[in-house]
Amino acid sequence: MNSRRTWALIRFGLTTLFLFVVWILFSADAGFFSLLFGFFISLLSASLTYHIFLPEHEANLRFFIPRPFSLIRFFILMVAALYASSFQVVKAVITGNTNPRIVHFRTRLRSDLARTILANAITFTPGTMTLDLNDDHLTVHWLLCSTTHAKAAGEAIKTRLEHALGRTWL
Amino acid sequence: MSELILQAMLYCLTFFAVVTLIRLLIGPTASDRLVALNVLAAVSLALLILWGVSTKRTLYLDVALVYDIFGFLGFLAITRFLKKGKEES
Amino acid sequence: MMIVREILALIAFVIGTAFGLVGMVGLFRFKDPYSRLHAGSLCGTTAVFSYLIALLLLSPSVASTLRMIILIVFFLISAPTGSSIVARFIWESEDAERQRSSMNREDKSL
Repeated sequence: MNSRRTWALIRFGLTTLFLFVVWILFSADAGFFSLLFGFFISLLSASLTYHIFLPEHEANLRFFIPRPFSLIRFFILMVAALYASSFQVVKAVITGNTNPRIVHFRTRLRSDLARTILANAITFTPGTMTLDLNDDHLTVHWLLCSTTHAKAAGEAIKTRLEHALGRTWL
Repeated sequence: MSELILQAMLYCLTFFAVVTLIRLLIGPTASDRLVALNVLAAVSLALLILWGVSTKRTLYLDVALVYDIFGFLGFLAITRFLKKGKEES
Repeated sequence: MMIVREILALIAFVIGTAFGLVGMVGLFRFKDPYSRLHAGSLCGTTAVFSYLIALLLLSPSVASTLRMIILIVFFLISAPTGSSIVARFIWESEDAERQRSSMNREDKSL
């Protein structure tokens, strides 16, 4: 019971901190009254929503606090993947031979946040499009499909991104 | 030099928007129109930011921020509406 | 310093325009909605992202630079969300289409 209450308190504090940072970023105003008002508003909305924002079953801080350097590395990797796969789609548009298929594979990431970000990164690069994310099972539409074998397709699409994400969250 | 690049960007983005609008108008199914609308949302976001930079006023950047955050809510509403219409018919 | 930023912005602008033009060609060349979505994301994601980087390099003041960085981060979140909503809609409508056609076939066989 005690550890559960501590965990609830940590989640509440994290939610308040996040909302307060977003408030500062959006209002772009460092006056005293603005900061006070923002702090109380974020306290109020955090007390109402912390159990939805950070679910109770993810009982580890590493599930949502990223390592900053790995996060920057993941960002650079994602931009590189964006341009590389855009170039492949450009080739496909010019030559006109595509092989659109729907492939399924699994991810070994454990936290919900990391899985969501992996699905978003797959959608962000042209040529692959996430249709469904069900626990750890991803359904992806792939424009330039070379194989429908689950493991090989997963390796071709996500391995590098998943590796970088696994270092960032868990 | 800087103004020249901004002018050229303005023309290119307007060209993209017009071509996407043609796809939006002639698209045979609802899915094609939705695809065109998705591209058009990104292009209009870029136009707003371009206007904010070229007139040197941050007001347009705030507008673009809010448009960016709440843009996909419109998509959710449209897809929900289309799905409901299909189920009823 | 300014001239280096302008040259980098020009490079990003040329890359973005090239991707955008090819995306426009693909939007009219492909036949099924999925492939059109891929070609559209070539224009709506890659070209717009390159333009945003060019505008970040050309931004006139510190306040607008900070806002542009926040905007780029939110663009990275919101662009895939929109495309995945559209892809999900295409998937479900194709499923409904397939069910309807299979039902029609059963009706005919009866």
